[in-house]
Amino acid sequence: MKNMLILSLLILLLTPLSVFAKTFGKGVSLKETTAISAILDQPERYVGKTVQVRGTIVEVCAKRGCWMDLAGDRPFEKLQIKVTDGEIVFPLEARGKTATVEGVIEVNELTREQVIEKRKHHAEEQGIAFEPKSVTKGEKSIRIRGLGAEISGI
Amino acid sequence: MSWRNWNQLLHRDIGFLCVGLTIVYAVSGVAVNHIHQWNPSYSAERSTANIGPVAGDPEDLRTAQNILERLGDEGKLESRFRPAPDQLQLFVDRRSILVELSSGQVVYDRAVPRPLLRAMNFLHLNHPKKAWTWLADLYAVALGFLAVSGLLMLRQKNLQRGLLLTAIGILTPLAFLWLYL
Repeated sequence: MKNMLILSLLILLLTPLSVFAKTFGKGVSLKETTAISAILDQPERYVGKTVQVRGTIVEVCAKRGCWMDLAGDRPFEKLQIKVTDGEIVFPLEARGKTATVEGVIEVNELTREQVIEKRKHHAEEQGIAFEPKSVTKGEKSIRIRGLGAEISGI
Repeated sequence: MSWRNWNQLLHRDIGFLCVGLTIVYAVSGVAVNHIHQWNPSYSAERSTANIGPVAGDPEDLRTAQNILERLGDEGKLESRFRPAPDQLQLFVDRRSILVELSSGQVVYDRAVPRPLLRAMNFLHLNHPKKAWTWLADLYAVALGFLAVSGLLMLRQKNLQRGLLLTAIGILTPLAFLWLYL
């Protein structure tokens, strides 16, 4: 009996938690999915609106799981999903899986200094090299303030 | 039975019930306190290799399979992405494989879950939500009871020492609030 109890506890602790972790935050409820390319082409049209997007997760915040990048429907394009630290935590093992995400589109004009700061922070989080001189001008930041997500296959 | 006996009995038994969760919250508490220094739930492993220039259409599935063969990676290809014209990113099990096509330089990123810590953080940060929220609330109430019942267990001979230590315990966070708030 005692051995069974210890064994059950060990199994519970070591079982991959992925079985519980398919829905994040408020989940998804919108009927229509918006193409990431449509958002990137005309971001102003979507600012402040809640949209649903779908794509392969190509990067996840390595420290806190507080953001992830979804691949767009066209090559070389991706869109960042940012969530409040601790409220939603995207697992690192979600890379390569398909996510459906809902959230509000945010567009910000960043100065060169802000871009350097952002990329420096990103490089520190991901443990990659960054050369500030590679940034020559400001840029438009387009991202989704994530409210909920569903990730399949984890 | 007097109230003192009841207090002692409840303090002892509720204390026993709280042992498991206290350990979970204590260990996970330290782990997530240092989240700016490490990922408390996963360890990230990175390695590099060179497989030589990769020919073929990057959009073609065979190109991806060819890369995996050259790497000797027998994992199942789950998906792929092209971050830039000269790059191809492959996702195999828990690995991300970024290949620079012209040079054949490969960066392997692997996320390895920390089994016990990840489970503890999962509970501590209330990721299960639902019924776990109620259990965590109950645990918080039990901790409150242990604090108050512990104070009520003070006897005359330990009163001064007990009050002094309690005052230190209350004043310490207040001092930090005064310093940082």
